[in-house]
Amino acid sequence: MAVLNDTLGTETSQIASAMPGTDEILTIILTLVVAYLIVRIADFLLRRISERAGRYRITVTMVIPLIKIVVYVSAVYFIILTIFDPGLTELALFSGLFGAAIGFGLKDIFADIVGGIVIAFERPYQIGDKIEVSGTYGEVTDIGLRATRVVTPGDAVVSIPNYVVFQEATASQNAGKTEMLVMIDIFIDPRSDADLAMDIVKDALITSKYVYVSPSRPYTVLLQDFPFYRRVRAKGYVNDLRSEFAFSSEVTRRAWGELARQGISPPPPGHVVVDDAGD
Amino acid sequence: MGSVPDFAADLTHPILYEEEWDRITAGIDAFEEGRPSHIAVISEPFAGQDVLMKGILRRNPERVIHLPFFSIVKNKDFLAQISGRRDIVVMEHCHFLATRKIGGFAMLDAFLDLLSTSDRLFITQWNRFTWSYLTATRHIDTFFPVVIDIPEINSKTLKNLILSRYTDEIEFVAEEPPHENSLQNGRHREVKFSIFQKDFSLTLPRIFGSETGRNGISGVHQGNPEDTAFDRIIRIADGNYGVAERIWERSLDGNTLRVADIPEIPCTINLDINESFLLTAILSMESVSMVDLAEIAGPEIHLKQTLFRLTNQGLVNENKGYFEIKPESLSCVKGYLRRIRMVW
Repeated sequence: MAVLNDTLGTETSQIASAMPGTDEILTIILTLVVAYLIVRIADFLLRRISERAGRYRITVTMVIPLIKIVVYVSAVYFIILTIFDPGLTELALFSGLFGAAIGFGLKDIFADIVGGIVIAFERPYQIGDKIEVSGTYGEVTDIGLRATRVVTPGDAVVSIPNYVVFQEATASQNAGKTEMLVMIDIFIDPRSDADLAMDIVKDALITSKYVYVSPSRPYTVLLQDFPFYRRVRAKGYVNDLRSEFAFSSEVTRRAWGELARQGISPPPPGHVVVDDAGD
Repeated sequence: MGSVPDFAADLTHPILYEEEWDRITAGIDAFEEGRPSHIAVISEPFAGQDVLMKGILRRNPERVIHLPFFSIVKNKDFLAQISGRRDIVVMEHCHFLATRKIGGFAMLDAFLDLLSTSDRLFITQWNRFTWSYLTATRHIDTFFPVVIDIPEINSKTLKNLILSRYTDEIEFVAEEPPHENSLQNGRHREVKFSIFQKDFSLTLPRIFGSETGRNGISGVHQGNPEDTAFDRIIRIADGNYGVAERIWERSLDGNTLRVADIPEIPCTINLDINESFLLTAILSMESVSMVDLAEIAGPEIHLKQTLFRLTNQGLVNENKGYFEIKPESLSCVKGYLRRIRMVW
């Protein structure tokens, strides 16, 4: 019994000695506040710079999640090593507490943080990219430690937990570039002059004010027959992915203006089935 | 006072773009021996490419059919002029053969059809931005085995060209601009932000969109004032001969040029997509009429309002109903449109 009391007494004193005092708690809070401010200021400045960087916009914003990870990890490292200065016993205790915390419900948050680190370093997508994850499509506006924020075309802000990157396929439409491939479908009556329609759609595409064409960013116009209509599909790069829908709309509007002038009409109503396959 | 020299008038004179001139004459001489190797001369607005075209006309007056275009070509009548026994066709401002609109490539296609089957040598001159666009979208470069890209000139060439116009001596005054407070000189800016609803401000170096343009950094030559002046002019002009000439004229006061009087040109552009598109059209066509611009703009762009805003920002000049990029703004406009991927 006396041995048991001695052991308990020793462990209690070890735990007590590991517990931070008031000064240490203040230092911890100050460290976290400074880390937060550094992240916020860096985030603010880099976003300002990126908006003026034109086609290098996404290259600049790519640094933001890295800075977040480095600053927060450094802050935690500083807190653990400088303030707690753990010995082997404290480390064992901390590991035990940490394991218990993960077991008691923090595992999702931990998975999110690990996911955030993976996203920051592996870069399956970056801030500014257009992505599709878990059925959500939109522009990545922030990659935090816990979640990625995406703004949908309908202006809804969706938070996607970072651990999703381990479980689901993520599709980045532009892979870190400012330009992005856009597919524009025009459905015409099967009796129409398909060659003329393709010429018109091609001209509408390459004369658009949003288009970007280069040897590595070519355009194509494809024709496919369906039982009750023909589909003219234009594939071209928009110069800035933020203009994706404006590009599509402008090309469609101008193409239809000319198609109508040339006597090319849409298919009879009720027969068009939209096919999103990326052929 | 000086006068603009006609370098092409005397073909023994060391001409502006001598190397390019040699390539063209070599192409013409080689043509006599075999199949035509068509030539495309590519240049920015105001670069002085007319010197080369005039030179060709003077060198081969009996052989040349001359076709200069001054507005968008709307019918195929120009093709009828390519007839007879003359075996060289010199076509200036070929960027007017294509219009950035649906169906706007018909004249270009008709010309390329003729060129593809002709025995004549075609020497064509294009705006660099139109050329890049047509190369990307229509592979026009495949029709021209010889592409001569007019280069930027250096300050030594500029000095020789400009000073050769004057009989009186020009006095250069090495007067440095007054040293401004480095925090107010346009290379720094104050950034305001708020944290926890409290406002803060930081003074930071300007990284993008410098108030003084791409070349707005000091970098003044520390040698004699003459070299300093021409270094500075060519830096501000981005190597463009016409722009450098304009800056020279603006800076010269009688027979004196003070280095401090050479104006650094402000460069802050913020345009919407329609304004950027119209600016691209003007840059790509060099000098374009309201009627032609209306065709390119289509019904979606309020042409008069947009042109007013472009003019008001000091980017565009109107001259007798024709719009062109203001020479002093050329470097800034190019940089901006490249950054937003409107020109390639």
